Amino acid sequence: MSENSIEIRNMSKSFKIMYDKPLTLKDRLISWKRNKYEMRTVLHDITLDIKKGETVALIGVNGSGKSTLLKIMTKILYPNKGTVKTYGKLSSLLELGAGFHPDFTGRENIYFNAAIFGLSRQEIDKRMDEIIEFSELGAFIDNPVRVYSSGMYMRLAFSIAINVDAEILLIDEILAVGDQHFQEKCFKKLEELKNSNKTIVIVTHNLQQVNELCSRAIWVQNGVIKLDGNPKEVVKAYLEECR
Amino acid sequence: MEEIREIIQYREFLKTSVQKDIRGKYKGSFFGVLWSFINPLLQAVVYAVIFPYIMRTQIENYLVYLIIGIIAWTFFTNVINAGMMVIQMNAGIIKKVYFPRIILPLSSAISGVVNFLISCLVILLFCIFNPSIGVSWHIIILPLITFIQFVLSLGISLALSAINIYIKDTQYIIQFVLNLMFYATPILYTVDIFPESLRWVLMLNPMAGLVDAYRCIFMYHTIPDFSVLAYTCVVSVVLFVIGLIVFRKLEKGFAEEV
Repeated sequence: MSENSIEIRNMSKSFKIMYDKPLTLKDRLISWKRNKYEMRTVLHDITLDIKKGETVALIGVNGSGKSTLLKIMTKILYPNKGTVKTYGKLSSLLELGAGFHPDFTGRENIYFNAAIFGLSRQEIDKRMDEIIEFSELGAFIDNPVRVYSSGMYMRLAFSIAINVDAEILLIDEILAVGDQHFQEKCFKKLEELKNSNKTIVIVTHNLQQVNELCSRAIWVQNGVIKLDGNPKEVVKAYLEECR
Repeated sequence: MEEIREIIQYREFLKTSVQKDIRGKYKGSFFGVLWSFINPLLQAVVYAVIFPYIMRTQIENYLVYLIIGIIAWTFFTNVINAGMMVIQMNAGIIKKVYFPRIILPLSSAISGVVNFLISCLVILLFCIFNPSIGVSWHIIILPLITFIQFVLSLGISLALSAINIYIKDTQYIIQFVLNLMFYATPILYTVDIFPESLRWVLMLNPMAGLVDAYRCIFMYHTIPDFSVLAYTCVVSVVLFVIGLIVFRKLEKGFAEEV
């Protein structure tokens, strides 16, 4: 088959859980050596290949490590062991509207936000109309973001992130954006991206979506991959375990 | 190499951060960007009034002498102070979006340069309207000296911005160190007041050479001492490399620690 988009090799991630985090030098000196902390391993020795053009769902109960895995793919967090390689331009929708400035207008925020995703001025100008149209904000686009309703805010943020033209799209539980109409539109957009050979990784609890959209599902439990394969089978096994 | 390519890719982000730094800082204040040089100017006036009495300094054109020193020093401290806090201030996006983290301290260093170059216009005005000083072709060396100072202060702020995330005391320690350095740099006085045998200790401070170089081109219309400039250049590059290594080492934990 085609080449890999994401390669993860023997990757482990653990967090240092401090009972009393020493922030200052004084704290550090006082708690020298009797520093109470434990290492909590969130992901154990994960090896995973995601091929170009695949739409992969990560499922699992809360705290199983799905989001951490996604953050490591984005390079926001770094693994303690092992390697993670990604090939191609990557865009992540971990939280919508990170970097929005409430006092600036929707249009200005499109510039700021898209710039954080690594787009140049011309690239943003080229996508501007498409983003505004997708968000369905109409005349509101020139109002400051602070007067937006939370749904409008989310719609704008989602429209920017989805129009970045990334080859790899990482999405964390945000498909429940906006009203029914907008959700369906997002869903359609994702299918469109899927058909144009983009790699998509979604963390979600909406199992119906997994069945409809994804070509592969990965069930993460307690930091290891429990099952990986056909979405229907994985979802079925997951549901049985949950009961 | 990979990093440089990435910074070029994110140039729009760098540009908007610099713009936000410069416009956002004085947003809502009446004088706006003017504050970036009104402040050092007022400071210089205060010193110019007070110091001749307590120090009995006899420096020709003392006011201009002070203005150059203080504006160059303000450039240095602005970059370090802003750079030190910049990671913390952007915690929200660091936790949620990937981008080359170095963009943040880099953007505060670039806005420092822009502010400094605006302030240089004030220096020029003071030189032009002072018949005993005037302006000469030597100011074409200004970009070179500014660049050396840019590298120096960026290097220091890279290291400090990363360390400050892990040890919050850094900012307070650095405030004290900067205060101390202000008096260790010939801003209010000239190196001549020290005996010849001690002067080299003073000149170890890279800022001493830079302040001196600015005065050479603006006030004295001479070419700065080449050996001093070369020394400053080497120190700046070494500090920059150290800063970069420290930053690269620590940036991986930003999203967890910030």
